[in-house]
Amino acid sequence: MKNVLKVALGVLTGIGGFLDVGAIATSAEAGAVFGPRLLWVVAFGTLCIIFLVEMAGRLAAVSKHTLADALRERFGWKYFVIPFSCEVVVDLLVLAAEIGGVCLALQFVTGISYRWFAIPVALLLWLLIWLGSFAFVEDATSILGLVTLAFVVGAIKMRPDWHSVAAGFVPSAPAHDGPHYWYIALSIIGAIISPYLIYFYSSGAVEDGWSVKELRVNRVVATIGMGFGSVVAMGVMICAATTLLPAGIGMDDYAQAPLMLSRALGMWGFYLFAAALGVACFGACIEITLELAYLNAQTFGWNWGENVAPKKNARFAAIYTGAVLVAACITIVAGDPLKLTLFTMALTVTVLPLLLLPMIMLMNDRKFLGKHRNGWISNTMGVVIVVTVIVLAIFAIPLQILGG
Amino acid sequence: MDLLLDVLDQQLIDKHGRKSGKVDGIAIELREGKPPRVAYLDMGTDVLARRLSPRLERWLQRWRARIGREVVPFQVPWSKVKKVHLTVDADIDAVKEPGYHIERWLAEHVIGPIPGSQISHEDKQR
Repeated sequence: MKNVLKVALGVLTGIGGFLDVGAIATSAEAGAVFGPRLLWVVAFGTLCIIFLVEMAGRLAAVSKHTLADALRERFGWKYFVIPFSCEVVVDLLVLAAEIGGVCLALQFVTGISYRWFAIPVALLLWLLIWLGSFAFVEDATSILGLVTLAFVVGAIKMRPDWHSVAAGFVPSAPAHDGPHYWYIALSIIGAIISPYLIYFYSSGAVEDGWSVKELRVNRVVATIGMGFGSVVAMGVMICAATTLLPAGIGMDDYAQAPLMLSRALGMWGFYLFAAALGVACFGACIEITLELAYLNAQTFGWNWGENVAPKKNARFAAIYTGAVLVAACITIVAGDPLKLTLFTMALTVTVLPLLLLPMIMLMNDRKFLGKHRNGWISNTMGVVIVVTVIVLAIFAIPLQILGG
Repeated sequence: MDLLLDVLDQQLIDKHGRKSGKVDGIAIELREGKPPRVAYLDMGTDVLARRLSPRLERWLQRWRARIGREVVPFQVPWSKVKKVHLTVDADIDAVKEPGYHIERWLAEHVIGPIPGSQISHEDKQR
């Protein structure tokens, strides 16, 4: 029974963690421009993140090391400083984008410019982390995350052409607008394979005190949780494909984005869209903010833990407090939240190989994992993932210039 | 035991079980006519900077001197190291070590004064 509960919570966390401003924006953009043709990219990205999250959880459960701990220990400070610094910069930008997503949702409902909401949203975010326990923070975002299922309902109610939806799962090259197609494909991968999600998951497994006994739970949670999140992202793409594409509305005009649900669900759809966007982004905000503090604490060996009183791990608390402030300022200064989102997703892809290549090597290390090392399935997938992200990282900048 | 694999960049734990930094460096003592031995674990940002480039370390020290901060090195004598397995456990009290001053300063001046800074949820482990 306890395991069932764990799985249920993990699945909910998956929905909450998977779906963020990046996944919503890139899926919506893809649907608005290319219909359901990029569904295969979501499916492929999901397969990758399922494997990566499972590995991060397994590493934590078996070795009691978080990913950051293990990477620094195995590859040394001189190497780890590179992915670490990149991650801090990328995370601050992604956090700014997520705060922007929450603010945008509030703008839809109130009509007041998103900039005014950045500081209040940041304060609420900080307050939750400051006062809440890890379990509270995790459960609250998970349960609220269920509202994002509105995208699946919306997608079904729009009665899409299921043949073209099915065809979207077959990888294909576009007849026109190649660079833009591949740029969106790359952004989708960047949005789905979020390094923050991987670091956060491994820290969470240690916070929850996982051991070898949790390995099966870990596998189920990774698969079903990420799978569910993926279904919602696909729902977003189909909603956009059936509403924005026929109306000729691109995502540049994001004020029209609520149309994605209001066409199917009326006025309720409008509010559900705002709620889903706001909640998904806010959940992601919490995860990224905590992850920034985890990452710094684990890199430098400070005391850490969301359950410990802030005064008892002051550096940990100072990092998340500072991160929220800095990110809120970036949200205000950067302008257009959507552009910021797409940009940060491409940036994520550029730095992904620095994390994933050593991570796959680590998963084969006897010292950390003993007999729970990667088997041939995980390693095959690992090679596919690493090769893919290296190719994507090389093309990220040129594609951004050509297609962004 | 392999110093580079099992000790360097490992989590240091003090006698109260507190995470007390990572083993940023290892100092080896060369002795005439005898095999070299580990003298102490060398901790702190200076060591981290040195490992990236000696120039970065000098730059860091000059900058520190300019703002008038004295650096007391945080060194853990090898004789205090009790156990090396998954973590490096040493018979020290981290709170009394020089590496702790930033934590203490933040706790007293920045984090501590904010209402709610004492609320703990450590009993709520799932």
